[in-house]
Order: sequence, then structure tokens, then C-alpha cells
Amino acid sequence: MSDTASPPSPALVARVEDLGKSYGTSSTRVDALRGVTLGLRRGEFTAIMGPSGSGKSTLMHIMAGLDSPSSGRVWLAEQEIGGMTDAELTLLRRRRIGFVFQSFNLVPTLDIEGNLLLPFELDGRRPDPEERAWIDRLETLLGLGGRLRHRPHELSGGQQQRVAIARALATRPDLVFADEPTGNLDSRTGREVLELLASASREHGQSIAMVTHDPIAAGYADRILFLADGVLVDDRPRLPAAEISSIMLAMEAAA
Amino acid sequence: MTGRVPGLLVAALGSAFGVALLQISGALTATAEADPDVGASATVGTLLTALALVFMAIAVYVGAIVTVNTVATVVAGRARRIALLRLLGSSAVAQRRAIAREGLITGAVGALLGAVLGTLAARGIVEVGVALGWLPRPAYGWASPALAVPVVAVVLTTWLSSWLGSRRVLTVTPLQALGSSEQLSAEEVRARPVRNATAVVLAVLGTAVLLLGVGVGLVSPLGVLIGVLGGILSFSGLVMGAHLVMPPALALVGRLLGRGAAGRLAAANARRHPERSSRTTIGLVIGVTLVTMFGVAIESFRRMVEAAQAAQPDVYQGIGPMLDATTAVFSVLVGFSALIAGVGLVNSLSLSVLQRTRELGLLRAVGFSRSQLSRMVLAESAQLTITGVLVGLLLGGFYGWCGAQALLGSAPGVGTLIPPGIPWTVLAVVVVVAAVLTVVAAAAPARRAARLSPVAALGVE
Ligand SMILES: Nc1ncnc2c1ncn2[C@@H]1O[C@H](COP(=O)(O)OP(=O)(O)OP(=O)(O)O)[C@@H](O)[C@H]1O
Ligand SMILES: [Mg+2]
Repeated sequence: MSDTASPPSPALVARVEDLGKSYGTSSTRVDALRGVTLGLRRGEFTAIMGPSGSGKSTLMHIMAGLDSPSSGRVWLAEQEIGGMTDAELTLLRRRRIGFVFQSFNLVPTLDIEGNLLLPFELDGRRPDPEERAWIDRLETLLGLGGRLRHRPHELSGGQQQRVAIARALATRPDLVFADEPTGNLDSRTGREVLELLASASREHGQSIAMVTHDPIAAGYADRILFLADGVLVDDRPRLPAAEISSIMLAMEAAA
Repeated sequence: MTGRVPGLLVAALGSAFGVALLQISGALTATAEADPDVGASATVGTLLTALALVFMAIAVYVGAIVTVNTVATVVAGRARRIALLRLLGSSAVAQRRAIAREGLITGAVGALLGAVLGTLAARGIVEVGVALGWLPRPAYGWASPALAVPVVAVVLTTWLSSWLGSRRVLTVTPLQALGSSEQLSAEEVRARPVRNATAVVLAVLGTAVLLLGVGVGLVSPLGVLIGVLGGILSFSGLVMGAHLVMPPALALVGRLLGRGAAGRLAAANARRHPERSSRTTIGLVIGVTLVTMFGVAIESFRRMVEAAQAAQPDVYQGIGPMLDATTAVFSVLVGFSALIAGVGLVNSLSLSVLQRTRELGLLRAVGFSRSQLSRMVLAESAQLTITGVLVGLLLGGFYGWCGAQALLGSAPGVGTLIPPGIPWTVLAVVVVVAAVLTVVAAAAPARRAARLSPVAALGVE
């Protein structure tokens, strides 16, 4: 296996090779991923699409070190994360990966500022001046100026998601993972959230991987990967939403 | 652990305690009546029964607070399911009745179980006393109509507290089932002007009466009776206003927990539901206050006696061991309420960690390590216990000293002010028990939190 593995390229921020993941025992076995090989390019905004149950979330969890694969190998930048201990994975998530989930991204007992600074606090340090300046920029970008002392439940769903994105960006991680970040939002609020992600990638070279069902959301991405039934079936550069939509329809018809 | 097992345990403990007290005092009364020296005076029996009832009432009261809290916590955790049922057309009152009915059954089963256990324990204790030659075998039948009192009291209070604790069902709207991401049930402390005013008036008035008792105590030992009245009034005010007093105390102790992410989140968690944390800690406060109060009062008395003894050695002979025994007996009797409060604290913490599964998964995802999560839970537990114990020690010290002063201030040769005696043994036991409680309460939830897989936790509804 390892002799066939090509060395990780510096242009790739994350990579998986022949990734497999199955749940359950032999009788109830579900193969969520069946031999996926792909690389995410540094600085790019990648969308991962596919029908429900195609394995998108599973792929994301494994690439982010939240879950372990049944077979295959996983790299973040030059580092293989397959055999890492729980403590190593924890540090990886804290320092080098950012997360945005569909909902419930913020710690309810901390105010907005507290949520933004949580990754630093976990490391037992304060942001250095350069990081502080970056966080200030993010806060300006959020447009929540006077509300940094508010707690999450005092914000709207879209505002909460934007805070979650700012938190994910705060440590300038190698890679930000977002699993249906606009899934709970109306289209206008969703657009604001997507703008924030796209501008982080465009203006600051942030690498982002976003799982989504929504062709409009995927239209913001530089590259779109299509997953079906646990297999990578298509890999496209930036596309208009209408075209993404027809690819998805064709895939669902084939299934 | 759902709400049912601890509910049963609390009901059983309360009823076992009450029944055991009545059985033992019954057996002792029977012994006293058989003793030709003491004779068939009704006073011994009445006195013992009255004492038993007082301690039983304290235990049942603490048990009721614990039950209200358990039910409220369970209801908060079920809010989403309740909302779904509401959405499908179930009425809030029907839901609440179901919870109260569950409480009635739990109370009945627990109380009967407790009655059996209490009787067995009482018989065991008396047997030991007989075997050691402390008392003759009592002519006592182990069954008396009075035993129904603790059983009925426990059933009724469990039922009533389930009803009170389920009040929150009424505030759950069907809309919550469709609910957004927000899981924080902002349990606002609604302004309750009447309750707050009553609490403040009781506390202020009670303290004034207590101090009056201390003043009167300078000329007559009857001052202690005024003092007792003031003590009961002011302490009732405090318990009633716990939601005003405990959160600031928790915040203060929370600052001591360190500034790391784990400590800060723990501090925030303990204050997240002020009403619930107040109830979780107030039971402990009641227990520790009473234990400390008796300890300080008796120790102050001992100091005075020792001074007097130097002058007249033979008059006070043998009083030392008697005081030790009194302290021990009172501590155990009052400590039982603290034990019930401890069960409540353990349960409260496990439930709240269980209900935060999703949040714990999020913390793991953003980079909390396993040990940071465990530390957070331990710090939460420590915050609750330390606050309860500290407040209890302060109050108990104050009440105990007031009592001693009011009773003994007029005794010849004492001087105007008695320095409070510090019962070191009692304090040491309280601190050790508190430390054990902290660890015990945190053990299971901390292990659970550390074992949690982030992916599984994030998938929880
Ligand atoms: N813990 C689990 N146990 C068993 N099967 C699972 C588990 N988690 C996921 N699966 C299965 O793995 C497959 C892929 O799931 P996954 O959540 O990755 O899909 P998805 O593409 O994210 O779907 P959606 O768009 O609906 O979120 C599904 O068939 C799912 O039922
Ligand atoms: Mg998914």
C-alpha cells in the first residue's frame, strides 16, 4: 500500500487515498465510503456535493480527524493523520482545522467574543498582536460591532453562522471544513454566509472544504467534487449554479 | 441515569430516615418506661418523638427541594419532545399531570421501600445497643400508627414537588419542536416580587430578632428562645431567597477555579440555570449550616464549662464525653439531610452533563482535549460543593455563636462576649465529606464526557 502512495504535494492542503469507511457488523454493514481518492488544493474553496447518504459528512469527518477511516490513508498538509492519537488529533483540530456545522456551532455560555477566542484559550494563550489584528478585521467583517458581548441565543441564525465562520477563520487554520453551513438559513442570509466564506478564500487564501446540497452555494466554490454512493464520481472547476443543478439532477436520476 | 432512580432513592432515604428515627425513639421510650427510676413519665416519649419529627421534617424538606430540582432538570432536557407532543395536539396540563403521576408512584414505592429499610436499620441499631449492654432489650412491637407519618409525608411531598418541578412544561411551546439551533434554555429568573420581598423581610426581621435574643441573653438565658425564633425566621428567608443569594456566591467561587478555558466554562455552566444551581446547592447549605451550628454552639458551651470546671472540678465531672456524644448524635441526624442533598447534587450534575452531549461534541471538535473536558466537569462539581459548604459554614458559625451567646451570655463569670468555639473535628469531617462529594459527583459524568466521540455527540438531537 505505502509503496504505491505518491508523496504529498505541497500544493495540496489535504489528501485521502483509497479511503473506505463502513459502519455496523457484517449483517447490517453500510459502506459509507468505498475507495475515495482525492486532494484538496491549497487556497481553494472546494464544494463537495452529492445526494443524501452519499458519504459527504463521513468524508469530511474523517479528513478533519473527527472520525477514523476503516481503510485507506489521510493527510493534512504533509502530515499523515491516520495513526495519530486522540491527543494529537485534538491539537490538530485546535490549531490547524476550523469547523462550521449546520447548526449549534457556538458555546451558549460564552459571548461572541468568548466564542471567537475559544481556540486560543484552549491553548492557554492570548492572540499575539498580529492575530489580534486579524480577529479585529473578522469582527469588522461580521458587522456585529456593538454585539460582541451578546450571547449566541441573542443573535439570528445567520448571524450565528457568521460568528461560527469567523471563529473557524480566527486561528488561520490550514483548512476550514463546513458541513451544510447554510442548511438552516433562508436564501438571503445564506448568501451573506457564503460571501464571507468566499471572500476569506479569495482575499486571504484560506483553504475551505464545504459540503452542500445547494447548487447556488456550490456556485461560490472554485472547484466542485461530486460524490455518489461513497465514490467520487466527478470533479469540476467553477460552474454556474444552473449547470451544477443539472449535474445533480442527472446523478439523482441515475441512482 | 434518568430522573427516576434518584427520585426513588431520595424518597426511600427520606422515609427510611423518618421511620428509623421513630422506631428508635419508640424503642427508647419503651426502655425508659420499663426503668423504675425514670418511671412511666410521658415526657421522655413526647420529647423523643418531637425531636424525631423535627429532624424528619428537615430531611423531608431537603428531599422535596431535591425532587423539584430533578423534575425541573428532566423536563428541561425533554423540552423538545414535549414540544413535539404539543405540536401533535397534547395539552400542556395533560403532560404535566403525567409527570406528577410519575412522581406519585415514585414517592409511594420509595416511601414503602424506605419504611422497610428504616425499620430494619432501627432494629439493627437497637440490637447492637443491647449486645453492647447499653440498654436492656426493649418491650417494643416495632409497629405503631405514628410510622405512617413519614411514609405519608414522603409520598405527598414527592407528588407535590413533581408537580412544582414540572411547572416548566407550561412554558414549552409547540414551536420549540421546529426549533432552531439554539439549545440554551434561557431559564430566566422571572421577577417574583412577592416571593423576593417575603424572603428579604423574613431575613431582615429574623436577623433583628436573633440579635435581640443575643442582647436579652446578656441578662437571661431565656434570650435563646428569642434567638431560636429569629434563627428560624431568618434562615427561612434565606432558603426562600436562595435564587438571590446563591448565584453571586457561585460566581465568587467560580473565579477561584482558574482562568483556563475549562475553569471559565465550568463557572459559566454553574450559573447557566441560576434557579437550578440554587436549588442544587441550598440543600447542602441547609445540612452544613445545621451541622456547623450545633458544632459551634456545643464547642462554645464546652469552652465555658471548662473555664468553670477549673473553679469547681467535681460539679462538672463527666460532662466532656456527654458533650462529645451530643455533638456526634446531632451531626449524624442533621448530616442525613446533607446526604440527601448530596444525592441531589450528584444527580443534578449527571443530568446536566447528559443534556449537554451536543455541546461537549462541539467542544471536542474545536479542540478541547479529553482531560480538559473532565477537568471542566470536575470544576463544575467543585464549584457547587465548595459554594454550598462555604455558605453553610459561615451561616452555621454565625447561628451557632448567636445561640451560645444567647444561652450563656448571662452565666456568671463568663464576661459579656463569648468567643465562638471552633469545632475542629466537625469542620474536618465536613471538609472531607465535601471533597469526597465533589469527586463522586463528577466521576461518572466526567468519564462520560471524556469518552464521548465527537462525531457521535454532534449527531445527537
Ligand atoms: N453512525 C453511523 N452508523 C451507521 N451508518 C451510518 C452512520 N453514519 C452514517 N451512516 C451511513 O453512512 C452513509 C453516509 O452518511 P453521511 O452522513 O456521510 O451522508 P451525507 O452524504 O452527509 O448525507 P446528507 O446529505 O443527508 O447529510 C449513509 O448511508 C448513512 O446512513
Ligand atoms: Mg451530511
